[in-house]
Amino acid sequence: MDVLTVKNLSVSFYRPTGEIEAVKNVSFSLRPGEILVIMGDTGCGKSVLCKSIVKLLPDIARIKTGQIFFQGKEITDYTEKGMQELRGTSFSMVFQNPMTALNPCMSVGAQIAEAVRLRCPEISRRELRNRVIELLELVELDCPKERAGQYPFQLSGGMAQRCVIATALAANPAVLFADEPTTSLDTEVQAQILDLFLELREKMGMAVIFITHNPKVAARVADRVALMRAGELYRIGDAEEIFEETIHNHH
Amino acid sequence: MRRRSLRKPYITIIEELIKFALSVFLLSVLVFTLARLAPGDPLYAYYGERVEKMSGQEQEAARERLGLDKPIPVQYMRWAKGAAHGDFGISYQYKRDVKEVIAGRIGNTLLLGGLGFVMIFILALFLGLFCAWREDKRADRVVCRIGTLTSCIPDFWLSLLLILVFSVWLGWLPSSGAYSVGAEKGFADRVRHLILPLAVVVLGHLWYYAYLVRNRLLEETRADYVLLARMKGLSGKQVLYRHCLRNVMPSYLSMMAIAFPHILGGTYVAETVFSYPGIGTLAYESARYQDYNLLMVVSLMTGILVILGNMFAKILNERIDPRMRLKREAQKEEVRGF
Repeated sequence: MDVLTVKNLSVSFYRPTGEIEAVKNVSFSLRPGEILVIMGDTGCGKSVLCKSIVKLLPDIARIKTGQIFFQGKEITDYTEKGMQELRGTSFSMVFQNPMTALNPCMSVGAQIAEAVRLRCPEISRRELRNRVIELLELVELDCPKERAGQYPFQLSGGMAQRCVIATALAANPAVLFADEPTTSLDTEVQAQILDLFLELREKMGMAVIFITHNPKVAARVADRVALMRAGELYRIGDAEEIFEETIHNHH
Repeated sequence: MRRRSLRKPYITIIEELIKFALSVFLLSVLVFTLARLAPGDPLYAYYGERVEKMSGQEQEAARERLGLDKPIPVQYMRWAKGAAHGDFGISYQYKRDVKEVIAGRIGNTLLLGGLGFVMIFILALFLGLFCAWREDKRADRVVCRIGTLTSCIPDFWLSLLLILVFSVWLGWLPSSGAYSVGAEKGFADRVRHLILPLAVVVLGHLWYYAYLVRNRLLEETRADYVLLARMKGLSGKQVLYRHCLRNVMPSYLSMMAIAFPHILGGTYVAETVFSYPGIGTLAYESARYQDYNLLMVVSLMTGILVILGNMFAKILNERIDPRMRLKREAQKEEVRGF
């Protein structure tokens, strides 16, 4: 069974000047354990699509039509309460800029601990600490013990992104949304983080929705690729198939 | 930046002290000169109406006795010499040592100002949080409207309005003083006299700080880290308390440290209208009657409070914000390294 199914989803922004349709009639499904890359130019609605699934859209945006199913259950009309439950346990997200995604006034360890404690409030201090360090080891951050006590501004972009990923993994999610997670990093670190995604998928078996505008990044991690343009998802298929097609079209 | 970072900590302290002394000196010169250039005759403070019956010669003699016949720089030197030894002269109006006059009043002002400050500090935080939580909902809008209205009403007018309603019409609360005659020690009586001036001090300042908290919080709720926190499964309210508030606190605390003398100064208006025997009424009277010595000490005290508030705010800010604190520690390491 598919982990996530989206049927005919449309999302609009309602501005005083009028309605803007950011996502138009999008349908796709996500298989367990796969990495689905959603590719498209900046502003084509990739990010809005993800945020509408986890219901973290800004106030002016709303789901207009369509249905979302998580593990066969419809979650389209879930209220904030139900979504909170899902976000803490089944959905996680990694963001484009790790430096702003972390709270500047909290140590990274505390931020990861917060996510862990939300799932098991009874956890003891020592266990909590061990779990945080375990997560930091999982994302291959060096000297996790020292790093846990540090603040985001003391870390490099790559290190900070590893911490964000560790936070996302704390919930042991079924679906991980990665919203351009490598765009703000330099090439070498980018490759490391992409390998980390592949490795984590092997270890933890979660499905990943990976957003990018960069075909090279997509080619490195994708099992399947969905192409978006101006709010519409116009093509979805196996990675090899899609890339061959694209190359073919260009010649 | 680099040059500064190599300095030893005690040099910074000495630097701050020099700055402090210099500011106080400049302030004293300014107040001294301005007070003496202002129109009016200090002899009225000392002799009252009798001045008019004095002959020119007698007036000259009185001026000489009070040291008011010399040019201003000479007068200032004399004053500064005395002040350095802790002698601030006598109050012309009360004919007592300035220190005594102030000692009898300062407790009242600190009580009113301190209580007002604590209430503003706490209420502003709660109001700001409430409004940020209910952003643009009806509750937020209503609070914002009322807040803007109360902060726009001049303090003295608000005072008169409160006196009219609660003292004249309803007769619930006394309209002036700090205690009823003959009941100087009664706690309940004291509280009853405090309510109206305190209400004026709090209402006059509260919204400014609450609005500040609200807007800083709303800025924070638009930050990226809020999304990550929400994705952990935290509710919007939890993110506001646990994450946004933490980022607002350093600037709020330093803001409030600066605000302390400001709010204490705000008590001056309330004191004057309610004839509350505090420093504020003294400041008003001393300026009005050219009671130079008293005016000097009251202004200097207020000025020193402002300067100390600013210094405290700076130190506080460096202590709380991890970015500032760690930078400071890194600088110390650097110093040791050399």
